[in-house]
Amino acid sequence: MKILVADDSRVMRQIVIRTLRQAGFGGHDVVEAENGRIAMDAVLADAPDLVLSDWNMPEMNGIDCLVGLRAAGCAVPFGFVTSEGSDDMRARAAAAGALFLIAKPFTAETFAEALSAVLAPTG
Amino acid sequence: MSTAAPTLDDVRSLTEEVWASFLGEAEPLLPGAGGPTGGWSAAITVTGGWEGMVTVELTDRVAAAVTQQMLGMAEDEVASDEDVADAVGELVNMVGGNVKSLMPGPSTLSLPVVAVGRVARPSDAVEACRVEASWLGEPVVVSVHVFGAAAA
Repeated sequence: MKILVADDSRVMRQIVIRTLRQAGFGGHDVVEAENGRIAMDAVLADAPDLVLSDWNMPEMNGIDCLVGLRAAGCAVPFGFVTSEGSDDMRARAAAAGALFLIAKPFTAETFAEALSAVLAPTG
Repeated sequence: MSTAAPTLDDVRSLTEEVWASFLGEAEPLLPGAGGPTGGWSAAITVTGGWEGMVTVELTDRVAAAVTQQMLGMAEDEVASDEDVADAVGELVNMVGGNVKSLMPGPSTLSLPVVAVGRVARPSDAVEACRVEASWLGEPVVVSVHVFGAAAA
């Protein structure tokens, strides 16, 4: 399985990838994108099995990326990993078709809980 | 626009939560005496239902250690300025995003701005709360400013 991690911060992409490993999903392939535009192009080209995306990014933000993907007929499972976890943001994410919103800071347990419905653990 | 401001306890507790999640393994964030830190600083603004600015100030040594921890680098690896700017920006993004979530919305979070030295604040910004902490024996300062009408 392939996971696309979209975040404009390389530091945060590293933390997300490390947390995936700690949560038991380290055996999946990970590809990275540094904004929503690059993520959208990569999803349409490479068809990953899951997208984990930041919300607030330059060029194209995460919610516009998700809306764009759905408009293009792409149903890829999509979850946000963002510092903004308010009810309003969660409602907007769900309305656009996101499966979950993980608020930063997060733990490996949060990842395991959110991702277990989508991905099989790899140990 | 709301004239509310987050409480000192709220900002302290979410700062400690950020530290505990990504930086606390080596050493927890402790209460500190604060004071100007020199080194690196980062700011992020919230506009909309609530308007304010969150800043983080770190010494050079703390900024470098934050970067090493967040990137999982070895102790003898030197973090580049680009990596330090990224890590410090992500710290203020997390604190700022959590402050935004506490305040009335809807509002928008900016992208972080990172500087060597202190970030200049707009003249109508008034400090609403200031968390003075210590990590690795050096000061860490997180502050929240509110703007204009909200500060009056």
